Amino acid sequence: MIRLSNIERFATHDGPGIRTTLFFKGCHMHCPWCANPETWNFEIELLHDPKKCTQCARCQIVCQKQAIKIENGKWRLQKKQCDQCRKCEEACLNDAITFSGKEYSIEELQSIVAKDRDFYEESHGGITLSGGEVMLQLEEVKTLLKKLKQENYHIALETTGSYPLSSLKQVVEDVDLFLMDFKHLDLEKLEQITGANGAEVIENFQYLAKHYPEKVILRMPVIPRFNADRPTIEAVLDFAREYGIQEVDLLPFHPLGANKWQQLDRLYLYQEEPMMDKEQLKPYIELGKKKGVFVKVGG
Amino acid sequence: MAKINIDGVQNVEISKKIPCEKPIEQQLEIMENYTRTYQKYIDAPKAKREIECLKTIYPILFRSIEDDDLIAGRLDFLPIGFGAVTSVGGVGHYCVFHKLRAFKEELPQSEWARVDALYDFWQDHDVKTLYCQDILNDTTTGRFIDCTYPFMATARLSGMILDYQKLVTQGINGILHSIQNDQEDPFIHGCIEALALFKDVIKAQIELCEQAKKNKEQSRIKQLEQMQDDLAYLLEHKPATFRQALQLFWLYALCAGCINYGRLDIVLGPFLKRDIETKEISEEEAYDLIRSLWKMIENRRTTVNGRIIVGGKGRKDQEACDLFTKLCLRVCKNTRYVEPQFTLRFDHDTDPEILDMAYDCIASGATYPTLYNDDVNVPAVQYAMRVSEEIAEQYVPFGCGEFVIQGKSIGTPNTLLNLVKILQLALNQGVDPMDGIYKAGPVEVKPLASFQTFDQFYDQYKRLLDYYFELSVQAQKHSYTIMNQEVSFLFNSILMDDCLGRKKALLDGGVEIVGGTNETYGNINASDALYTIKTLVFDQKKYMLDQLNEAALANFAGYEKLHKEIMALPKYGNDEMDCDELANDLFEYIAKGIRQKGIDHGMDYYLIVISNNQTNTDWGHETHASLDGRKKGVYMNPANNPQGGNSKNGPTAVLNSLARFDAKYHGGSVQNIKFTPRMMHEDQEKVKALFKTYFKKGGCQLMVTVVDRGVLEDAQIHPELYPDLIVRVAGYSAVFVNLGKDVQEELLSRTLYD
Repeated sequence: MIRLSNIERFATHDGPGIRTTLFFKGCHMHCPWCANPETWNFEIELLHDPKKCTQCARCQIVCQKQAIKIENGKWRLQKKQCDQCRKCEEACLNDAITFSGKEYSIEELQSIVAKDRDFYEESHGGITLSGGEVMLQLEEVKTLLKKLKQENYHIALETTGSYPLSSLKQVVEDVDLFLMDFKHLDLEKLEQITGANGAEVIENFQYLAKHYPEKVILRMPVIPRFNADRPTIEAVLDFAREYGIQEVDLLPFHPLGANKWQQLDRLYLYQEEPMMDKEQLKPYIELGKKKGVFVKVGG
Repeated sequence: MAKINIDGVQNVEISKKIPCEKPIEQQLEIMENYTRTYQKYIDAPKAKREIECLKTIYPILFRSIEDDDLIAGRLDFLPIGFGAVTSVGGVGHYCVFHKLRAFKEELPQSEWARVDALYDFWQDHDVKTLYCQDILNDTTTGRFIDCTYPFMATARLSGMILDYQKLVTQGINGILHSIQNDQEDPFIHGCIEALALFKDVIKAQIELCEQAKKNKEQSRIKQLEQMQDDLAYLLEHKPATFRQALQLFWLYALCAGCINYGRLDIVLGPFLKRDIETKEISEEEAYDLIRSLWKMIENRRTTVNGRIIVGGKGRKDQEACDLFTKLCLRVCKNTRYVEPQFTLRFDHDTDPEILDMAYDCIASGATYPTLYNDDVNVPAVQYAMRVSEEIAEQYVPFGCGEFVIQGKSIGTPNTLLNLVKILQLALNQGVDPMDGIYKAGPVEVKPLASFQTFDQFYDQYKRLLDYYFELSVQAQKHSYTIMNQEVSFLFNSILMDDCLGRKKALLDGGVEIVGGTNETYGNINASDALYTIKTLVFDQKKYMLDQLNEAALANFAGYEKLHKEIMALPKYGNDEMDCDELANDLFEYIAKGIRQKGIDHGMDYYLIVISNNQTNTDWGHETHASLDGRKKGVYMNPANNPQGGNSKNGPTAVLNSLARFDAKYHGGSVQNIKFTPRMMHEDQEKVKALFKTYFKKGGCQLMVTVVDRGVLEDAQIHPELYPDLIVRVAGYSAVFVNLGKDVQEELLSRTLYD
């Protein structure tokens, strides 16, 4: 079984053409700007929307583990006590409680992605595995990729690159395009802020760049106060050119995941940060041209 | 039988009409004169009565030419007169009673008795009233628009799209010569007189041009002289130029009371091509003329009509037609009118440049052109209407999306069914829970406890549907009987095959293909409700059927948990096989049922159309809560799109669901989709691929609204800032801020893709 947080059809920002993107549960990084924080935890997880909650206490009444408390006007979840029975979700009449995470068999996923096959073919699109970190469910992913490949889909893998090279080698033949997250060249900073293993990221990248340069697009989320400065971005462009990578996508910061942080009861450090204006990144398109790297703003 | 009063709104009217130019006293005199003439000829043959009455309104009701008009022809209409459709006046000899009452209010009290006399007289003679008198009742059948009934019926002659090619290739005299001068035949005599009257109309335009010259600059005077020359030429000759052909077509459409214009690329394209080749006019001059036509059509303000169709199969001089098409696309992109409803037919051979221009036009927010896929529609029409491929190629959508064959068929939608209300009769032993009235006629409706299987319940629903199908076809046919009893529709008959050849009026055996359409509403609410019943009662056995029904009767108050469970079930529009299949099953039962009724009753075709104007909203107000989770009084789903908010799997999923209905069983269905400008521009290639795939998969039609997130909400708060924000309602476009709040809410509920 494969555990996903979401399936997005008509995904237009995760690779070429019209795609279906599967968002995998589980990630060992913890980027503080993450737009999909519900994917971090491999476990199925409760999201509570205080904006929809009327504190009617229906959820509290049905919870047999006493995981939900409403005290002093605050709704609280004792995460350790929750056994994901989902009775609270059923009981909530305001849709304030949802659960992130659902198990799918490979066959189920095959049948879901097949629904849009005609759209992929017309648009030269396909399927993107994203997350979370897809590679954390390696064994299942390997089977899924084989099955999808047999059916001739174009497959993109969006990945942090933060895992052993030996894992990467097990999937590389079945992936047509790697959308490699590349957040910073200062590995110390990268590790400190995101939890990535910098050495693995570089090693995986170098391997792909050496053997399959045509399969790699570097994707750099451009985050204020982290990597949005010109020297950092330019360094990534230079790095890409050095390894013969054709395309770098700069993804302007957006705070659209803020609600999900709130629903997970986690502190979002970018709460006050406005959406980055795309125009701000457009000069890098020209800069890329000079350097011989195709730069795209947005996915 | 008690006299039925049909005073009340009789059509969807969003765009505000331009008031009649004549002084009010003169308007009253014209209506009195019309009425006196009718009375004088009351026992004369209907064609004679019709032409004599027409003479009292033509050409006098033509209004002044406006400063930027490049063709002549602006026509007013009054609460009493002659027409074909309710959007401009009424049908046959008509009186629009609520407008006559409003007219009365504008007069000094001393004159009220004159109006009252008219009102009283027309209560017994208005064609629609005569029809309603026969058809309406207190339980099943209501007047259009009275939404308390499961079924509405009306008399109108909507969607007349005439053979204008015949007009422009033969000219007035050409047609006159082709009519055997059989003075004994009142119909033929009437046609000859109608063409003579048409010439009088043209002469009157020459005079109006003359008046328009006063105090004008030389350049405008020159334009008006040109118009006069063209008009004078048309009196005795067939058109020689694009401008003349356009002029002739336009005046004729006005006289015939037609508000849908059809395949103008076929009619006008060859003239345009010749004129451009001979340098008679430049492309820019042609552009200006088309733009002027656009404005004339907009100014008629028919809300749900004004169809101009270009492109597609069955065009002889494709190059000429495409030339015209491209100019229209330019005009469409540069104007912000809700009419004409500019419609592009296309197939796999269509010039890619035209498709790109169409896309740009849509992406700019014009809502036009609406797209019709000939690769699907031509074979579908061939089957649905039982006609040859050659004839099917001349299909044209009118109004909100019903098909007719240009110049060959009538297909007016005079019957409308509310599928949700009928389902509720099945759930409540024939009683409509909205008003407690029994509306099942002779159909035995069993108590809920007696249904042991889903199929038994479904069969009960089908028996009720069968009953309403029978009411529908009879009402549809009777509308033709009554209209034919009263009028000949002379101007329409002249340009419809093969009235002149058969020497018979349109509805008297003249028209070659006698069709008709039935607008079905709540299609998806009904099928999703059936899916709820099937799943929760018969598959999962979680509830008894009467428990579900009780919840619906309580409008789900006290049944919130059940309501949540219902809302969480798969819904049509998400590419979920099971519920889409049930939707399709219901669609096919209804579509085939209606079609077969038409065949059984001797019609050439009678088909459902899944279009809608705003009747899904109006009828929803009078419809109780339904088991798809829709609450009491809430709008019903638009056309065959999902209920607002229910499509959650993105545009590929909704389009996959939409493409599932086989087009060959219906006579037109419309599909709406809403995108942000960002998506239309930045993801252009992907959206194009999306559309292309949908059409390849059997999608018959698509209409696209392009609007930014938050804009519609803002327009509700600050309507003054959005005078030209055009949205696609369903079968028509409208300026958003002109719509009622309820219709605005329905539009807002639809998913916006970004």
